[in-house]
Amino acid sequence: MTKTMSYYPGCSSQASAVHLDTSLRAAMGKLGVELKDIEDWNCCGASVGHIEGGHMGMFALNGRNLAAAQAQGGENLVTPCAACYLNTHYHNEKIREDARIKADVNECLAEIGKSYDGGLHVRHACEVIVNDIGVDKVKEAVTKPLTGLKVAGWVGCQTVRPFAKTERGGMYDTYDDPQFLDDFITACGATAVEFKGKTKCCGGSVSVMSPDKTLHLMKDILDEAKAAGAEVITTPCPLCQTNLEMYQPEINKKFGTDFNIPVVFYSQLMAVAFGLDAQKDAGLHQHLIPAEQVVTRAK
Amino acid sequence: MNAMSPTPSKKYDLDFARWVYDNVDGGDRMALCMQCGTCSGSCPIGTQMDHGPRKLFMMIRAGMKEAVLTSNTIWNCVSCYNCVVRCPRQVPVTYILHDLATVAVREGYAQATESDNARFGKAFWWSAAKYGRTDERLVTAKYYFSFGFGEGYKKGMANLPIALGMIKTKRMHLGMPHKCKNTGELSKLLKKAAEMEAKKHG
Ligand code: SF4
Ligand code: SF4
Repeated sequence: MTKTMSYYPGCSSQASAVHLDTSLRAAMGKLGVELKDIEDWNCCGASVGHIEGGHMGMFALNGRNLAAAQAQGGENLVTPCAACYLNTHYHNEKIREDARIKADVNECLAEIGKSYDGGLHVRHACEVIVNDIGVDKVKEAVTKPLTGLKVAGWVGCQTVRPFAKTERGGMYDTYDDPQFLDDFITACGATAVEFKGKTKCCGGSVSVMSPDKTLHLMKDILDEAKAAGAEVITTPCPLCQTNLEMYQPEINKKFGTDFNIPVVFYSQLMAVAFGLDAQKDAGLHQHLIPAEQVVTRAK
Repeated sequence: MNAMSPTPSKKYDLDFARWVYDNVDGGDRMALCMQCGTCSGSCPIGTQMDHGPRKLFMMIRAGMKEAVLTSNTIWNCVSCYNCVVRCPRQVPVTYILHDLATVAVREGYAQATESDNARFGKAFWWSAAKYGRTDERLVTAKYYFSFGFGEGYKKGMANLPIALGMIKTKRMHLGMPHKCKNTGELSKLLKKAAEMEAKKHG
């Protein structure tokens, strides 16, 4: 039976991470979850919105999304984006736990005839796969296992920090050595290599604005992936995927390296392993560094 | 409570520490910092900071307002939350740094307002408030040109191969920005939020 959940795709779903959105919807469909967009959702403020918008600005953005999600029913809000998850989760918790903040946010929302009581659970898409669907179900859905594909599971930071181990965050993994991504890789029939860079940070938005400060962080991750013998890196985070993919030429220029490692989303691996179309469903044609290995291994 | 932070006439002003405890998100927990250094030791970018978070917190306690709000610590933090999950005293380090960044810009310190982050933050908020969505193209362009036309052009050209790659792979669209249907509602909401925020900081 298909279960419907309120879905917050986030701004990158319409731009740099459109292939995350496409592949996740396709893979979730096979796993029996239909993602229903929050009506007229807005930006979460990411990791820079506070600078100009301040506390109330951030609460207003996140409050509007939460109110819209609650109005359309259900008890969950699911998002695939690390920053959307962190912001929505954080503001939701504050609204729930601090009566003064709840009153302030509702005073603000009343201006547009809305309200929110803090009752929703904000969930990361990966956590939903771990806790609601189950990795065994992922394995069952595989018709074209990615046999022999060596994948480095790169979780990044905000997908697990700071909420993966909190009760409200779904208790789905640890902060420093999360297993879920390796489990996804293995369930798809591929090989999860021993990868030390698992939860290393790509520099996030600082990499977007001042890459000179953070190229060495990304180089470190690529070094680890190479040392582990990975052919492909996979990540759940839209910004991780874009940063690590688009900066490889710059990194090579700065450090004299020759990296050319594809970086794909876990949901793309799943879509292909589930026998879905590599382009239309998995969006594998949308990479700056092509990832044919994923398709050729699927049998 | 909630007013602008105190302006010290002397180098060390304990009112600043008290103000941070009372007004900065997580500031109350900062009072429990035991200076163990786990945060700075866990920080991937610590070597590029004027002061790691541990030292910054000691400086806050010492009342070194100006040195704190002009340090690059608040701007070089990459928001990886290593410090937050490892702090044995549950000090929400990242949130404190974010909030101090907002304070530093609001109070007009040049090191803050002219930082890459404040420029980027401004471009970002413009897009989020106007369209309800981040338009990666416009935010980047606005950010680049905040450095002036010449510098903006140079940065844009340096980034051109990436932009063309994104267009080719259909991860950057041409044409009008994506936006919320009800941008009028959003502006009304954000105007109210800005009023409430201004009232707090009087
Ligand atoms: S880890 Fe926590 S207690 Fe230790 S120095 Fe940092 S903020 Fe203070
Ligand atoms: S969140 Fe910021 S201060 Fe904390 S460890 Fe990461 S970069 Fe360092």
